[in-house]
Amino acid sequence: MTSQEAPGPRDVAVVAFAQSDHRRSTEDSSEVEMLMPVLHEVLARTGLRTADIGFTCSGSSDYLAGRAFSFTLALDGVGAWPPISESHVETDGAWALYEAWTKLLTGDADTALVYSYGKCSPGSVRDVLTRQLDPYYVAPLWPDAVALAALQAQALVDAGHTDEPALAAVGARSRADATANPHAQLKGEVPQGDYVVRPLRTGDCPPVGDGAAAVILAAGDRARELCARPAWIRGIDHRIEAHALGVRDLTDSPSTRLAATRAGAFERPVDTAELHAPFSSQEVILRNALGLDDSVCVNPSGGALAANPVMAAGLIRIGEAAARIHRGASDRALAHATSGPCLQQNLVAVLEGDPR
Amino acid sequence: MPEVLRAPLVLEFPFTRSLGPVQSAFLTGLRERVVLGVRTTDGRTLVPPVEYDPVTADEIRDLVEVAPTGTVTTWAWNHAPRRGQPLATPFAWVLVRLDGADTALLHALDAPGPDAVRTGMRVRVRWAAERTGAITDIACFEPYDGEPEQPGCHSGEFENPLTGIVAPARLDYTYSPGRAQSAYIDALSARRTVGERCPSCRKVYVPPRGACPTCGVATAERVEVGPRGTVTTYCIVNIKAKNLDIEVPYVYAHIALDGADLALHARIGGIPYDRVRMGLRVEPVWTEGARFPDHYRPTGEPDADYETYKELL
Repeated sequence: MTSQEAPGPRDVAVVAFAQSDHRRSTEDSSEVEMLMPVLHEVLARTGLRTADIGFTCSGSSDYLAGRAFSFTLALDGVGAWPPISESHVETDGAWALYEAWTKLLTGDADTALVYSYGKCSPGSVRDVLTRQLDPYYVAPLWPDAVALAALQAQALVDAGHTDEPALAAVGARSRADATANPHAQLKGEVPQGDYVVRPLRTGDCPPVGDGAAAVILAAGDRARELCARPAWIRGIDHRIEAHALGVRDLTDSPSTRLAATRAGAFERPVDTAELHAPFSSQEVILRNALGLDDSVCVNPSGGALAANPVMAAGLIRIGEAAARIHRGASDRALAHATSGPCLQQNLVAVLEGDPR
Repeated sequence: MPEVLRAPLVLEFPFTRSLGPVQSAFLTGLRERVVLGVRTTDGRTLVPPVEYDPVTADEIRDLVEVAPTGTVTTWAWNHAPRRGQPLATPFAWVLVRLDGADTALLHALDAPGPDAVRTGMRVRVRWAAERTGAITDIACFEPYDGEPEQPGCHSGEFENPLTGIVAPARLDYTYSPGRAQSAYIDALSARRTVGERCPSCRKVYVPPRGACPTCGVATAERVEVGPRGTVTTYCIVNIKAKNLDIEVPYVYAHIALDGADLALHARIGGIPYDRVRMGLRVEPVWTEGARFPDHYRPTGEPDADYETYKELL
């Protein structure tokens, strides 16, 4: 799979994207049974077979479903024999895409398959996510994912950046937009509901559900062969906040801003932004950090407030942004993925289509 | 299609962590009702303290005592406490900047209701009656309207400092094995072993996992295999497993059931452990009410020829 091109920067593009329908429960399927149709669909879009793929990288967490080494079983759905070049990250699939992108930049491969999946239904994802926290000072208190997001939301309200009606409007807009997304789990008019952890209400929180997504990357001319309008990755960067919540300014996301700067997001305006904001308050923070005004179409897919298969929801943001470029609905899009409590880690990718 | 199988699954483990010098001083301090911070090179005091400066990454070791009183910097009302959280009655999650500190600590605030909580309110540590050197030695915070308490000037040196913590973790799941494995388990309850055939390479997988790992396609055609099979390889177990009532040594083997293209593994009984061999023909032994064979025993047939199972090793 060594490239014939001269060494140096290569253009790498997202050439195909597929995702499952995201559902509250997929208890009738194992993880590989849920994932496999998505892998077949993304390969079919390019006409590639597993044997044609230069590098495969996946993102998932065994803690979600409580199933040890589930990512090795998921690999059954790829067809990994004869042995393939493969890697896995224990986080959102957006970071698997980052690894695959760097692999293609080195020239080691010309194509990559990236996939991720999350089965939240077997456990309580609010509690499962406490196990990613500082084990000395924080995890023993079992602060669940909604509680930490609520602390951030209250800080935002106190700072005058938002209020409860504005947060409700974020959720309502997301679910209205999601009516055009056949894969979304929560769409249309959804009651804002009661407080889950005040100030966050049901409508400010993502639905809990299961799902999978897959993307194919290709470099240079290979991308042009596989896709009529490749979504060229102009830059990707990911940055992290200090891990102690009490050290951070929870009302801002300097790591997102820095990642966006380094990915080239501010060099020219984007027309679309797919933001991975599982909570309504986090969209407010991300819009501010990225300087997105009303001219930018934010989360036309409905975003994570409409479907949040944990570990796949970030990769889906990149896939949705790329798919809009593929079908000519966007020329330059920003995709963002997050991981950890209160937007702790943030990845920003900038995608562009060829001029029309 | 049999109905979806479900079973409770509990993941429970003690998370054992060693402590660095700053973490040890902080947690030992809580045991002694002393709250310590750490001073950064630019003069800020971090509580809870960390080993390395979050901005400069400098190693920081300058411990300084702060007050058990402080100010709420943000809060969130939790009307339905969950297992393991600091209070069993409704409470506020709070970030508290203790007097003398520049950063905030996450904990719970015991308050009568959300109307009694606001950012900027004053609070004080409520110590747990029994303290072991853990963040939970602070039982919670409580509202406080007195003067700021003056911190002592503890050096951070303690007798019997902690060197580690054990944090118990427990997660509860409802496990569902999925389509292929549900069908396999369902057939086993009638003492039949049913695998699935790959539509592409025609291999029969037992137990089936829903996909052919070679071809990456769904397996669907059900194929009953066995009940007899051939030992393809084995090992002799000499260490008694916890909570397992089997005398050692015993033999654990890979067994290729007749008609299967993948060996499953099971214990071999009914034969001295040092007489088990590759090629031995075996059959399952069921016990009343069991959902899978207790073990496999020799059938008495002649050993299988190596050529018949070499591809299954």
